Amino acid sequence: MTALLELRDIGISFGGLRAVDELSFTVAQGQIVGLIGPNGAGKTTVFNMITGVYLPTDGEILWQGTRITGAPPHRVAMLGIRRTFQTIRLFSEMSVFENVRAGCHLRARQHWWQGLLALPAQMREEAALAERTHEVLRRLDLAQVADESATSLPYGMQRRVELARTLVGEPRLIILDEPAAGLNDAESGALNETIFAIRDSGITVLLVEHDMNVVMNVTDHIVVINFGRKIAEGSPTEIRNDPAVIEAYLGREDSDAEEAA
Amino acid sequence: MPPPAKSAEAAIAESISGTPTQAANRSGFRRSEAIGLTLWVIGFGVPAVLNTTWVSVAAIFAIYAITALSEDVILGRGGMFDMGHAVYLGIGAYVTAILNIEFGWPIFATMPPAILLSAAIGALLAGPLIRLRGDYLLVATIGFNAIFVLAMENNLAGVTGGSDGLTGLDVPSLFGLQFVSQSAMFWLDWVLLGVVLLLMRNLDRCELGRTLRYLKQDELAATTLGVNARASKTVAFAIGAGLAGLAGSLFAVQLSTVGPSSFVFTESVTLFAIVIVGGQGSIPGVLLGTALMFVVPQIFRDFAQYRYFVFGIAMVAVMVLRPQGLWPRRRIAA
Repeated sequence: MTALLELRDIGISFGGLRAVDELSFTVAQGQIVGLIGPNGAGKTTVFNMITGVYLPTDGEILWQGTRITGAPPHRVAMLGIRRTFQTIRLFSEMSVFENVRAGCHLRARQHWWQGLLALPAQMREEAALAERTHEVLRRLDLAQVADESATSLPYGMQRRVELARTLVGEPRLIILDEPAAGLNDAESGALNETIFAIRDSGITVLLVEHDMNVVMNVTDHIVVINFGRKIAEGSPTEIRNDPAVIEAYLGREDSDAEEAA
Repeated sequence: MPPPAKSAEAAIAESISGTPTQAANRSGFRRSEAIGLTLWVIGFGVPAVLNTTWVSVAAIFAIYAITALSEDVILGRGGMFDMGHAVYLGIGAYVTAILNIEFGWPIFATMPPAILLSAAIGALLAGPLIRLRGDYLLVATIGFNAIFVLAMENNLAGVTGGSDGLTGLDVPSLFGLQFVSQSAMFWLDWVLLGVVLLLMRNLDRCELGRTLRYLKQDELAATTLGVNARASKTVAFAIGAGLAGLAGSLFAVQLSTVGPSSFVFTESVTLFAIVIVGGQGSIPGVLLGTALMFVVPQIFRDFAQYRYFVFGIAMVAVMVLRPQGLWPRRRIAA
């Protein structure tokens, strides 16, 4: 079985800094894969390379066996890959509905001149996509805030709006960049359920997360990186007991905690 | 279990009817549009109540309103700093003048090529430009404006008439009907302004219009949702340039003369300022800006030479006190 997504010896340098180096891992269809590592380990950089925001200096990215390295972001999106951002990137002057509707962009078949002339086919499509947007808003419990300004909502809700925006496009793979950041305990518990629901609907999930409660309970497979290199890979249980991980990651968390205390 | 299913249905229905955005889209008509349509219809009566001078002012207003709306497609909606928009107005005007005077084409037959050539050149220039950051794009478009004026002054291809320009256009005629009077010309401009306003309203509601808004607000987020930034911006540039070409064609007919001085850099600055002062992406805002620039100076004719002085002060005041423009676009629920 070919992997849905495969990274082969991927690497990138910014000036003299080697942010990611010889990183390889695969994401199989239907999995929930976690990418973890200490701050500055290069996790978001990996996401940016997969989604075409950064061009890798070395290595290859394969989507179902086909090389997609260097494809621009909109091409990557066309493959069925969607992402959220660590710092939420909602369209600030738009309502929740409009933000989520934006995720339907690739489902819109209308040509620009059909839109300018408001032809019946375009009007029908608009109605259908609006209906679809409302359906996703209901599914993510956002229907009651559909007309609110998206960025005026509480943080946890904004994360849900961003998630809705990716789901409305019916992706094959969604990449979540710290989905639990800024959430309270109840919200982060609900997030676990949401991620399972996403997986059960046939969407593969790749996530970066600091919240160990989320990572250990949700993922099937974990890749640990530090200083841009992979230091471990395996099931949550294996990762929990891996000495290198404990030293590089969990150990450091402890020392952070001591410093804080 | 029927009861829960029913309540879910009710919830769905409620959520749909309870959302103004969608309700408005469904019915296809809003109060603001009803007001706009009424004003437009009333506008046809201008020649009945005002003298010829004012009818020509109204005609100029209609022509510049189309031009300013076309600049708004690129600047206000597309977020691209086009400081050379007079070029496309000029291309439209010259195409109509040359085809009519040199080749004897009827005026109406010159309009499609005027629109298409402006749009094509807009799209062509957009190619290398749209990747530029705002300030660089602005300087590059100023450059194009300078080149265009220079080319016209130097009698490009021997058909642009040099710095004197071209004079002696025919009056437009359609099905034997001659648009001789100033009133008839005004009605023609007014009808076409109505068409352009309708296109702008449709642009607000179609995927292209929304896509431009996504790009303007957050290009990275937009592209990761599948937006092809280059394609969308090129189309916006072409539409803006093409509509300016239409306005240029009307401009040539209205003045019956076309010369390079009408399309100089300061004209581009004026169009740019109208959009910023009026309100980016706001149809009433752009119309208000156009009226302030082209109609109000006529009311104070004695002070007409202070037009730029007054408008200059207004620009400063608006930017300081009301940076979103005099009549900004409604932020939520377009």
